[in-house]
Amino acid sequence: MRIVGNAGGLFHLRDGLVIAVDSPGSPGADTLLLSSGLIGEEDWAAALIESVETRSLQAALVARGVTPARVQDVTAAAVLDGAFAVAAGEIERHSVDESVEHPLLPASTAVAPDVLLVETASRLDALASLPFPLSPYRDRVVAVHGAEPATAEQREIVEHATGRRNARDIAFALGLGLHSVTVEISRMLADGLLEIAPPTTSFSFSHWGLTSLHPRAPREVEC
Amino acid sequence: MLVLSGSTFPIQEWSELNYDALGAELKKLRENVAGVTDTVIAASDGIPILADVAKNVDPAHISALAASGLGIARQTTEVVGLGSLGQTVVFGSEGYMAVYAIGRLSLMVVLGDKGLNLGRLLHESRPVIERVGAILAA
Repeated sequence: MRIVGNAGGLFHLRDGLVIAVDSPGSPGADTLLLSSGLIGEEDWAAALIESVETRSLQAALVARGVTPARVQDVTAAAVLDGAFAVAAGEIERHSVDESVEHPLLPASTAVAPDVLLVETASRLDALASLPFPLSPYRDRVVAVHGAEPATAEQREIVEHATGRRNARDIAFALGLGLHSVTVEISRMLADGLLEIAPPTTSFSFSHWGLTSLHPRAPREVEC
Repeated sequence: MLVLSGSTFPIQEWSELNYDALGAELKKLRENVAGVTDTVIAASDGIPILADVAKNVDPAHISALAASGLGIARQTTEVVGLGSLGQTVVFGSEGYMAVYAIGRLSLMVVLGDKGLNLGRLLHESRPVIERVGAILAA
């Protein structure tokens, strides 16, 4: 099922169950695996090449030392996060087709759509009930001068909070789940570590005085 | 030929580009497409016109690279017989650089992170290119 919107996404279903959700709004299982350090970039590239013929990236990952349980954890988390990313954004339309577009890394344990729906609604509700609810796409955040983050994750978020990035951008920069980063940013906004960036910081236009691209009209020029 | 800012483009002296209108188009594109990080409008000789970029991105470098890449791509489409050039996209492991020709005189660069919604960018960029082209030609 394809959801057109911003961020939008693609729900992969097999036998009525969701096996993967790809969304530009949330880092996929590949990003989560790499950023967690469970597998290095070289091994990842080798696993991808191997999986072209074997058709199983999971088997290639397990052969390189990632336990099936960790793959399951990460892929399941990516499904939940992808659904949250789609639901937290704008949805314009959807379509269902019978395409055989296989997900890169399907979840080992598929999720029933109604379970996914309940979990996603619960995440949206929880976010809305936080002291500083924010949109993971619309709100761009900047570190408050002199803020002292308490945890390593908060420090990383502060480093990436340039004022141009929203929660989604920071989640991708860190390789962490969109939901967890959004919730953490919400807490940090409430605690005064971050603030919503002013528009002039979020969008910083500069130009160099170029006037026009029109060909110059013929005229007398003194040399 | 009047040379301004090092550009070899013939420049009209008496009218100002509508930077506000151009900026509004770039802002809309970054807001509407997840993963767009930076945007630059440049003349096709690589001189930047308007940029909305992070501090670590140099609009002059990006514009120059985009112009040369677009020139090679344009020539490729002609030599190979691929019709007219619409865009080029560089795929990196950490992100993308898409370059769109705006007529023959200018171009637009869009940088995106590794999660960029490339399909939506291709869709959303078409009307933006039209409008930016009209603003530049006004």
